[in-house]
Amino acid sequence: MFRKKLTFAAIAFCFAFTGIAARAQDAGALLDLLVRKKVISDQEAEEVRAELTKEAASTAAGKWKLSTPINEIELYGDTRMRYEYRGGRTASNDPTNPNDWYERHRERYRLRIGLRGTLADDWFFGVRLETSTNPRSTNVTFGDDSSVNGPFSKDSDRISVGQAYLGYKGFPDFTLTAGRMPNPLVTTPLLWDDDINPEGLAQQWKHTFNVTLGGGGGAAAVQSYGKEGYSKEGKAVVAPPAEPSKLKIDVFANFAQFVYDDENPENPIGPARTTDTNGFTQKVPTTDAFLLAWQVGARFTFPKNIYVQLAPTLYNYTGTGDSFNTYFQGDSLDTNQNGINSLLVLDIPVEIGWRIGELPMRVFGDFATNLEADGRAKAAGHPDHDGQRYAYEIGLGVGQLKAKKDWEIRAWWQHTEQYAVDPNLVDSDIYDSRVNMEGVAVKAGYALADAIIFNLTWAYGWRANGNLGTGGVGDIPINPLDQYQIFQADLNVKF
Amino acid sequence: MKIKYLAVGCALVAATMSNANADRLVIKGSDTLGAKLVPQLAEQFKAQHSGTTFDIAAEGSTTGIAAIIDGTAEIGMSSRRAKTSEVGAAAAKGKHMKPTIVAYDGIAVIVNSANPIKGLTKKQVEQIFTGDVTDWSAVGGSGGKISIYTRNTSSGTYSDFKELAMKKRDYAGGSQKMAGNEQIAAEVGKNPNGVGYVGMAYTKAGGVKVMPIDGVALSIKTVQGHTYSYWRPTFYYTNGEPSGLAKEFLDFTIGPGGQKIVGQVGFVPIK
Repeated sequence: MFRKKLTFAAIAFCFAFTGIAARAQDAGALLDLLVRKKVISDQEAEEVRAELTKEAASTAAGKWKLSTPINEIELYGDTRMRYEYRGGRTASNDPTNPNDWYERHRERYRLRIGLRGTLADDWFFGVRLETSTNPRSTNVTFGDDSSVNGPFSKDSDRISVGQAYLGYKGFPDFTLTAGRMPNPLVTTPLLWDDDINPEGLAQQWKHTFNVTLGGGGGAAAVQSYGKEGYSKEGKAVVAPPAEPSKLKIDVFANFAQFVYDDENPENPIGPARTTDTNGFTQKVPTTDAFLLAWQVGARFTFPKNIYVQLAPTLYNYTGTGDSFNTYFQGDSLDTNQNGINSLLVLDIPVEIGWRIGELPMRVFGDFATNLEADGRAKAAGHPDHDGQRYAYEIGLGVGQLKAKKDWEIRAWWQHTEQYAVDPNLVDSDIYDSRVNMEGVAVKAGYALADAIIFNLTWAYGWRANGNLGTGGVGDIPINPLDQYQIFQADLNVKF
Repeated sequence: MKIKYLAVGCALVAATMSNANADRLVIKGSDTLGAKLVPQLAEQFKAQHSGTTFDIAAEGSTTGIAAIIDGTAEIGMSSRRAKTSEVGAAAAKGKHMKPTIVAYDGIAVIVNSANPIKGLTKKQVEQIFTGDVTDWSAVGGSGGKISIYTRNTSSGTYSDFKELAMKKRDYAGGSQKMAGNEQIAAEVGKNPNGVGYVGMAYTKAGGVKVMPIDGVALSIKTVQGHTYSYWRPTFYYTNGEPSGLAKEFLDFTIGPGGQKIVGQVGFVPIK
């Protein structure tokens, strides 16, 4: 009895500082060892084990019951408080209000809260709830619903399902995902707003090669088949720094089949319509619209924290759908802004990183071209502008935001031509979800604490081609958007 | 006068019921323990304690632990440890799940006696029961689709085997769930491609043979020495320290007389 009490006291002391609920099961190994050493008997070990289990059951963690198939689960999320100024100026030849600024000042918040975990037999899942129904923004504006139900109404403070996905990692190097998921592709704001959670299927493959350089006998490649956990944003390309004197090559391939737009019904009673609800001419709808993506890339991590990553991607739009099944024009508010006709986009995001002393530096860029831009320009009534097919950005980043007192500054130039990319996916802040814009953007952040980040963002842009509109639907009801400016001050809390 | 007779009658009935409860022991739980061992222990105990009656229900360890939580049995038989959630549920009802090891058991992996295979590794056992391999030729056999027989989900052996042999992975989709050890042994004995697991007490069934695991045969010595991989303690659970008839029966079980029966039935004595 004395030995049992002594053992229990010793184990409880050991776990007192690490959480008895989390560590009670670990006691099994220690108890087994004590039994093998004949310090205590099996019965004494069982009694200690029962006491520890009882202690664990009385803690908050012990009361939280998880279903049997769950191996691991993580609660995570973030909240953000934001002040935003956003303004856009009409063109000088606007017939009614030339050179007039439309401006908004908004105080906003967002909440995202999720659960993700692993299940038995290499399955995983994730769900995330988010404020706002806007796919490109999770923000809620303070006071914007007061006219509906009075001060501090909750009309706009609703929760939507942002992510709901499941996946399988049972095959070495492969991750298969289905559902509404974190974007599985390596992207930049030039093509994708990072709030978008695409819906459909994704297949990711990643393999790491460690190459030892030198020795006179050439390079020896060692393949590594180690499994890695599902990374925080679902990307399969994040790699830790390589060891000195070794080259680490992460080769990856990401394929996606996103359901872009559901056609309902595929086969209506009577003839299929040839115009949409706004009267715009459309293809005869017969199928759902899909966005297909093929991405193959690599990240080369050299000694001394130098890395190069590139991820060429081809995006193809197939099928018709209904909501986006119209011919993009983008010239004025009266014309279609979101058609997805004639889009076959080749995108090449690139990033090169290094350190100066302890200071991380990186040059990042992205180049995209729509291989069917001539058809898109022709459908928009501008066959003479079929060269408007390119989009690119290039920038410099200094610093990083990983821990308290870290800081980071990024600045970049961005140029997007009218028929280059899908205006329904581009970033909603930098240039207000528009194409045919160019300008400069700067973002600076400081970590007030490990989980508290203060960010300032400023961007200034203008119409890239003065003969065309600025296609896309943003917060500024002006097209063409002749000049645009945004300023955001954010306080982010991550948990 | 009528009221007087009624009162006397009620008193007699109450006294009779009280006396009956005092000599009646309700035991619920593990099929592994409750199918053979505990009934034989009860018979021997009754022979020494005339007037004692037993109510034994062997429907799986989960039911035994639940019976202690619900207060519907004095002893809960279990071939696995109580889960944290079960201990928490007991605590919420003011109960304390006290385990007492009454015997050791080795979970035997059995195949049909016609199967030429002579032994399995732990890795092969995991592969077989999770469905990673589906043909005997993949583990050194002569070929044939593997038929897996397991216990049902309320069985302690079902969850113990997952933990001991399968790294907590799920059983193969096509595995057939049987009500008890005897049924598994019978099915494997009839099926040349069958494989299953049973408690040590059930390895004498006809038509089956026990597989050594990683070269270690299942025996009293290897279980007591904990060198056989799939050994486990088996328990009586009580609400705190047992008392009365429950304590007497528990003491008898772990005493020399009880442990002799433990060995005779095919379990491994604790000493």
